Amino acid sequence: MQINPSRPKSRFTEDRQALIGALILIAALPFIFGMIPIGGLLTVLPAAWRSALGLTDGLSRPHAAALQSAIANWQPFVEFATWRFLTLGLAMTVGVSLVSILLSLPLATLAALARLSTRAYIRWPIITGIEIVRAFPVLILIFYVFTQFSRVAETTGMGLLKTNNVTISVIVALTLYTTVVNAETIRAGILSLDKGQTEAARSLGLTYSQALRLVILPQTFRRVLPPLIAQFVTLVKDTSLGAIIGLLEIYRRGQILYQYFRNPLETLWVIAIIYFIVNYLLGQAAQRIERRFTGSRRGAL
Amino acid sequence: MNTESWYLLLQVGLVATAGLSLAAGVISLVLGTFIGIFRVSPMAPLRVLANGYVEFFRNIPLLICLAFIFYGLPKAGITFPIFEAGVIGLSVYTAAFVAEVVRAGLQSISHGQIEAARALGLSYVQMLWLVLLPQVFRMVIPPLGSIFIALVKNTSVASAIVVPELMYQAEVIAGRYFYPSVFLIAGVLYLVITLPLALLVNVVERRLLIGRGR
Repeated sequence: MQINPSRPKSRFTEDRQALIGALILIAALPFIFGMIPIGGLLTVLPAAWRSALGLTDGLSRPHAAALQSAIANWQPFVEFATWRFLTLGLAMTVGVSLVSILLSLPLATLAALARLSTRAYIRWPIITGIEIVRAFPVLILIFYVFTQFSRVAETTGMGLLKTNNVTISVIVALTLYTTVVNAETIRAGILSLDKGQTEAARSLGLTYSQALRLVILPQTFRRVLPPLIAQFVTLVKDTSLGAIIGLLEIYRRGQILYQYFRNPLETLWVIAIIYFIVNYLLGQAAQRIERRFTGSRRGAL
Repeated sequence: MNTESWYLLLQVGLVATAGLSLAAGVISLVLGTFIGIFRVSPMAPLRVLANGYVEFFRNIPLLICLAFIFYGLPKAGITFPIFEAGVIGLSVYTAAFVAEVVRAGLQSISHGQIEAARALGLSYVQMLWLVLLPQVFRMVIPPLGSIFIALVKNTSVASAIVVPELMYQAEVIAGRYFYPSVFLIAGVLYLVITLPLALLVNVVERRLLIGRGR
């Protein structure tokens, strides 16, 4: 039984196991779902080998057909144009996610502070707003913002909103959702600080806003950086929902590819790998930062 | 505007969303528990594959999972009806998160429990079933609750593979009558499912803690 968390070394091996296991699964998928036909590959063997293995020619004909269709399905991925097409989508995915999380940080900080405010007329509307938005599915937010913006663009004829309606809608909806989630994270970060920090800062003669800006928030952000990166991973995944209203991010571009080449299995497999690589690296970065901060700074915080 | 047909569409959607959530919830709980157990199993290949499963599905979007099952698998000769495709996609995706929680629960149990159970002559499976899992499930009810609430919200993604659930019906209504606010109504209807669920989790959690004599 491997239920023994006390050895610190086991954590590392578990990470490595996860990566190796995921790579095995990824590599197995094309064989499981016939994207790489094993029978077809046998037809490539020289005739002498095949007869030695007991494979008859009559048996190998459908296998040869399977091999041919597999080659046709993989064909797009040996061409540069396909990769350029997908890279543009990846840039859109990462770009929209980055803009959303950067916009959400100041908003989330304000929301967290408002939620911690001693004034009830500030606190309660914010709490209500946060709870409602958090309970909504992201897709609902995207559709609501999109349809409302379309209407506004129709009636007012705002040029920017009209031409970039989809992108703006997705950014606004994702920013809204991420703000609400990050506000909770930042609030928890502020609450996790020792109360003595605020008291010491105030007794040194700092004003409330100085204490926040110079003492509380820098420590908070150091603490909440790992969960913020984890939220960024979620955001990268959620950006794929923009494809449903036509945002040309990587999944939407993949959809266009597989509708044209009629190879949904292969294309979705490639796109899943791209998502996996991006998010895995982000997750590793979050872990490294977490280890660095909690490793050396725990006493200082 | 025909309020009658609206009402009907949203009602059908609400039932479908509840059904999707329930079916995917049960399946992902079972599947996720097994994967969670495999993650701490003494057999290295099982451990590697289970860890890999979690790592893989945590890092890809749900939409890709659903699209792979609904648009991809028919190419491999495996066809599911729409609703079942939604259930499978959601279950496979959610199971990764359940497995993570179950593994954390298993690892938090003190090693003395395992030694005691083995010393009493329980087999490996008996030890898991009679000693470890009952404790784990008490411990993981709050995180499981948030996973299931996320699952209910995630069922909205199934609208992309035309499962006629709440989100899909809202799209139909919005398209037919050009009335965007229907999305707010649908959003509130999701609350109708998630709010009682959150309350239920709270109640069960408190009940189990009392049972433990805390």
